[in-house]
Amino acid sequence: MGNTTDKVKILTEFEGMPNSRALATYQSKGGYSALKKAFAMPSSQIIEEVKQSGLRGRGGAGFPTGLKWSFVPQNIAGPRYLICNNDEGEPGTFKDRYIAELSPHMLVEGMIIAAKAIGATKGYIYTRYEFFDEIRWLETAIKEAYAAGFLGKNILGSGFDFDLDHYTGAGAYICGEETGLISSLEGKKGQPKLKPPFPAVSGYLGKPTVVNNTETFAAVPWIINNGATAYKAIGTEKSPGTKLFSIAGAIKKPGVYELPLGYSFEKLLNEDCGGMLPGRTMKACIPGGASAPILTPEELKGLTLDYEAIAAKGSMLGSGAIMIIDDRMSMVQLMKVIADFYHHESCGQCTPCREGTGWLANIMGGIYDHEGHESDVEKMWTVAKQMGGRTICALSDAAAMPTMAITKKFGDEIREYIKRGTSA
Amino acid sequence: MSDNNTFSPGLQDKIKKELTRYETKRTAILPVLHAIQDECGWVEEKHIEALNSTYGLDRVQVKEVLTFYKAYYQKKPRKHPIQVCDNIVCCMMGANEVIERIEGHIKHLEEKHGDNAAFEVIGVPCLGVCDQAPAIIVNKDRHHKVTVDNVDQILEKYSSLK
Ligand SMILES: Cc1cc2nc3c(=O)[nH]c(=O)nc-3n(C[C@H](O)[C@H](O)[C@H](O)COP(=O)(O)O)c2cc1C
Ligand code: SF4
Ligand code: FES
Repeated sequence: MGNTTDKVKILTEFEGMPNSRALATYQSKGGYSALKKAFAMPSSQIIEEVKQSGLRGRGGAGFPTGLKWSFVPQNIAGPRYLICNNDEGEPGTFKDRYIAELSPHMLVEGMIIAAKAIGATKGYIYTRYEFFDEIRWLETAIKEAYAAGFLGKNILGSGFDFDLDHYTGAGAYICGEETGLISSLEGKKGQPKLKPPFPAVSGYLGKPTVVNNTETFAAVPWIINNGATAYKAIGTEKSPGTKLFSIAGAIKKPGVYELPLGYSFEKLLNEDCGGMLPGRTMKACIPGGASAPILTPEELKGLTLDYEAIAAKGSMLGSGAIMIIDDRMSMVQLMKVIADFYHHESCGQCTPCREGTGWLANIMGGIYDHEGHESDVEKMWTVAKQMGGRTICALSDAAAMPTMAITKKFGDEIREYIKRGTSA
Repeated sequence: MSDNNTFSPGLQDKIKKELTRYETKRTAILPVLHAIQDECGWVEEKHIEALNSTYGLDRVQVKEVLTFYKAYYQKKPRKHPIQVCDNIVCCMMGANEVIERIEGHIKHLEEKHGDNAAFEVIGVPCLGVCDQAPAIIVNKDRHHKVTVDNVDQILEKYSSLK
């Protein structure tokens, strides 16, 4: 099958349109027609279509979406829940914000279709606290959808009921982790829960629950309208479809770009984003949010933006947050910001994470304050190495991975700073 | 079941609405605390007491939420708390210089007004607007592309820096 890495506008179809958020605008280009189509399909067929499309979770882990939906047991009595993870806390990530800004109805429609697929009767959009305007826009979209009969009882005469509400977080990165989010939605501390049981079996209030990222849901209407085959034709064979990339740093045009997976990194940076700001050069790049291992310019050469290609370089596509690190940024500063962040956000339940992030922040603070020893670089790597894989959630790994990459690839710069008091 | 002093009638209505909005009363704790803070500026001990005595929300559960989530103020903040992002991209785009400048102003204001100085700085993680870095939030307004050159103007809109 011929895959295309030419640009296609799926999630950003409404870019540049006046009143793009309004229901009328959304419907003027076929909005909510996928819903009607989905209602005429058996639930199992909706799931099959999404499975076939190859859509993978856009929140960071890249788990196949249709497969996740198929895990919801249909033989357990009682309600099932559907949750949109709109917490967008991974440093560098600002793409879900763009969906709320551009076409919140795309998300709402995607959620209704997903609800029909798994038989959920209640859904929540969980948004981070600091998205003040975005929350208003999402709430307006929900209201409009109710008024138009797309939400509530007996939607469009289908006999299917689905209620959707919005919930606002309160400033805790860990609530972006899906079980932390569920704890938060239950009115508790946002502490992740041990898996299994997986949310699909026992989630919100112990009921089967599917959590997907905002961008994941927003891709669903297009897939239903155009079919899995059309979606698979975009991107690469193993990473089909388009993805929103949020790219920032000292570049001319930072922002959110919808790109077919497999798009060239250099093309994105030099053509779409207009290259670096005058006088700045690229020193490194973090390709998938703060937890993604850093890549050197050498490793970035010829890189394509898809799950497999970035993984092959030892990093990850993650949330699609690309941070261009320029020559004015010292790796000591970068490492300090990262270490402080994870230390601050660890929920403290697991010893390797609580202690490990504490150690990293502590050692890094010492280095930063010119009290470091050259052996500290090695020590940080060793601490990080012991933090992976033995914890309730992936935050511990998320802190360890960038630490190991930075201390390995830019260890000399950090040692230089320790020795001479400056890295320049 | 009446509470006439702690919360305004408008806030009482809001709280009641939140308490029946979700599957469980407990789920309402975060939204209720948001509502209180939006109106009162922070969450005080007497609010927790009233939530317990009037609305039957568990003290320990409320406290647990209040202390876990950074968005809630457990201490009365100054008039205009400034949340400053100093995460990766903001840091690269000059957040530290901006913070230094703001802190300089605050020091000056504290010399004159002590604890009544209008501003305080609160460091926050990435605000999800890195394309607009550096970013700050004052009260509930998000400001983008803040620099040492425009930050005074932004802050002056809230209160004098003199
Ligand atoms: C520490 C941590 C933070 C996370 N933050 C987010 C987030 O802000 N948004 C998000 O969608 N997923 C986040 N995730 C991933 C979620 O746990 C989950 O995989 C995702 O919401 C599933 O949706 P998806 O399959 O559509 O990607 C985070 C994971 C971890 C471990
Ligand atoms: S890994 Fe860290 S953040 Fe995750 S549950 Fe354990 S202590 Fe909490
Ligand atoms: S790093 Fe400041 S908004 Fe993302």
